[in-house]
Amino acid sequence: MAFNDYPPPEHILGDLGMEAELTTESTAKVRTRVTPFVTTADGGVRSGVLATLVDIVGGAIAARVLRPDWMATADMALQLVGPVHGPWVEARGSVARRGRTTLVIEALVVCVDEDGTDASVDGKPVQPVAWASMTFSVLPAENPSSSVQAAGELPVRWAFEGGGLERPILEVLPVEVLDATAGRLSLEVRPYLYNSFRAVQGGVIALLAEAAGAEALGAAHGLDGSRFVITDLQIAYLALGRVGPVVTSVRIVGSGSDGWSGAVVELRDTGADNRLMTVVNVSGAPASVLAGAAT
Amino acid sequence: MTGGADAGANIGAVHPTVDDPIDHRRHVSDYFRLERWELPSTGADDPPVSLGGRAPVDGHLRGPGGGLRTGGLLTNLDSLGGFASGLASLPRWIVTTSLLATVSELVHVGPLRFRADVLRLGRTSVVTALDVVDEGAEERHVAAATMTCAILDPGVMELDFVRPFSMNMPPLQPDPSRPEEFFCIDPGEGPVTRLQLVDRLRNPWGILHGGAIAMLADEAACRAAEAHSPAASGPNGVAAADTVLHYLRPAKVGPVEARCQVLGSRAGRTTVRVEICDVGSDDRTVTLGSVTVLAV
Repeated sequence: MAFNDYPPPEHILGDLGMEAELTTESTAKVRTRVTPFVTTADGGVRSGVLATLVDIVGGAIAARVLRPDWMATADMALQLVGPVHGPWVEARGSVARRGRTTLVIEALVVCVDEDGTDASVDGKPVQPVAWASMTFSVLPAENPSSSVQAAGELPVRWAFEGGGLERPILEVLPVEVLDATAGRLSLEVRPYLYNSFRAVQGGVIALLAEAAGAEALGAAHGLDGSRFVITDLQIAYLALGRVGPVVTSVRIVGSGSDGWSGAVVELRDTGADNRLMTVVNVSGAPASVLAGAAT
Repeated sequence: MTGGADAGANIGAVHPTVDDPIDHRRHVSDYFRLERWELPSTGADDPPVSLGGRAPVDGHLRGPGGGLRTGGLLTNLDSLGGFASGLASLPRWIVTTSLLATVSELVHVGPLRFRADVLRLGRTSVVTALDVVDEGAEERHVAAATMTCAILDPGVMELDFVRPFSMNMPPLQPDPSRPEEFFCIDPGEGPVTRLQLVDRLRNPWGILHGGAIAMLADEAACRAAEAHSPAASGPNGVAAADTVLHYLRPAKVGPVEARCQVLGSRAGRTTVRVEICDVGSDDRTVTLGSVTVLAV
C-alpha cells in the first residue's frame, strides 16, 4: 500500500514486509517477519531494523494524531533488552505527550507468533525485547516540502508490499565499507531508501549507523563487524540526507574489559557540502559476550 | 520539560531575596561545583556556541561505581548543554525536552571536563552535543550525549550576559550532603522512589530542576534493579549508566514519584523503564525514560 505514491513500488519498507495497524486514535503496532537476512551474529534482529520498525509505528501514530499537520523525526532512542528471535517482531507505540511543536512516542518491542499473539516460553508471554522512544517535530500542514498530505485517510490496517529480502539487508541497501577500523561506510541515496521527504528514511540511517558502529567496535576487539552486536542507539536527526553518498565516521568512546563498548557515529551528506546529518551514540558487545546472557 | 540552563542568566524574578535566599540560577550546579566558560569561535564552520566546563569528583558525590554518580553527571550535562543552547537561542531562552546519554566509564579520578557544542539551531528547537573526559585519568572518555531543547519566549526574564561568558568553580561546602539528601529523595527500596519538591530544587522557571529529575531516575532505577533481582548486583552493588530522559511536562507541585519497570537483563546490564509523575499535579507524567543499570 502507498500514500500519495509513497513508498514507491521498489522500497526497503516493502521488502521488509511490514504490516501496520492503528489500534486506537493514539496507539499503533507494526510488525515484520524475522528472517536470517535481518539478524546479527547473536541470532537476534539488528537494532537498525528494529529502529526502522519503531520509526514506522511512530510515524503512523504521528500521522493520525497530528493531522492535518505532518512531522519529521527529531530523535530516537532504542535499547535492546534481549535477542529478538521472532517468529515475528512487533513494535507497539503510544503517545507520551502531544505538544504544540513536538510529539513524543514510546514503543515497546515484543516477539509475536504467526497469529499475532505474544510469543511465549513455557506458557508465559516473553518480556519486551526492546524499549524505544522518539520525538517528532511538528510541521505545519502548509509545509510544501512534504509529499504526503493524506494522513487523515490512513486506513486502520495496511501492509507495505514488496518482493522480500533475498540477501542480508546491508547488502540490499547496499552499504559499502570504505574503512572498517575507522567506521567509514558509504551509502548511495536512491528512491529505494526514501522517506516521504525524498531523503534517506530514518530507519535506514539507524541501520547505517549501527553497521558503522559494529565495524569500528568490532575492529577494536579484533573482530569482524558482523561479530559485534549494537544493542543501543541514541539518534539525533539534524538534517535530511538528500544527495549522497552518505558517509559515516566513528569515534570510539569506551571499551570495557567486559566487552561492552561505545562509540559516536556521525553521518554526513558528502554531496551537500559534507553537511552533518545525524549523530548517533551506539553501544554494544561482541556476540560471544551476549550469547545466552539475556534473562 | 526542565530549565536546565540555570547558569548566569540575569533573571530578575528569581534573584535571591530576604524571603528566598536561594539563587535558583545556580543552586543545583553549584552543588556539583561546575565551572564553565565560553569557547572562542575559530572559524565560520564552528558551532554557533561552544562551552567548556569542569567539575571535581568530590567524595560525597561518588557512587557505587567509584566515580561521579550518573545522576550528577547528567545534571552537569543538563546545566552546561542547556546554557549553551540558551546562549545560541538569545534573545529567547530554552527548556530541555530530551537528554540521551551514553556513559562509557563509571570509575573517575577527576576532575571531569565537559564540552558542549550546539549542532543545530532551528526555529523552535536547538540540538547540542556533549562530551565528557576524565582529566585525572589521561583524558579517558566518560560520556557522550545529545540534548534537545525547545526555544521559548522568555517573558519577563532579563537575559543579560557578559560575553564571552565564564563562571568560576564554586568552593567545596563544609560537610556537604549526599546527593540523595540534597535532592530530598526519600529513603526506600523497590520499584517506586519519591522526591520531595522543596523550593530550593526549583530552577529559574520555578519548576523542578532537570538535574533533580536525573538524580531521581538514577536512584529509582538502581533500587528497582536491585529489588527485581539481587543477582543484578555486583560486589559494590549497582550503578546507573546509559540514560534516556524525555522531559514531557514541568513538575510544579510534588511530591514527585519515579515508577520503574525492569524490562530485562543481559550480560550484566539491566534495562529499567522509568516514568516520573508529579503526584500533586493530578499525578501527571512529567518525564519518561530508561536507565541501564550495571552490576559494579
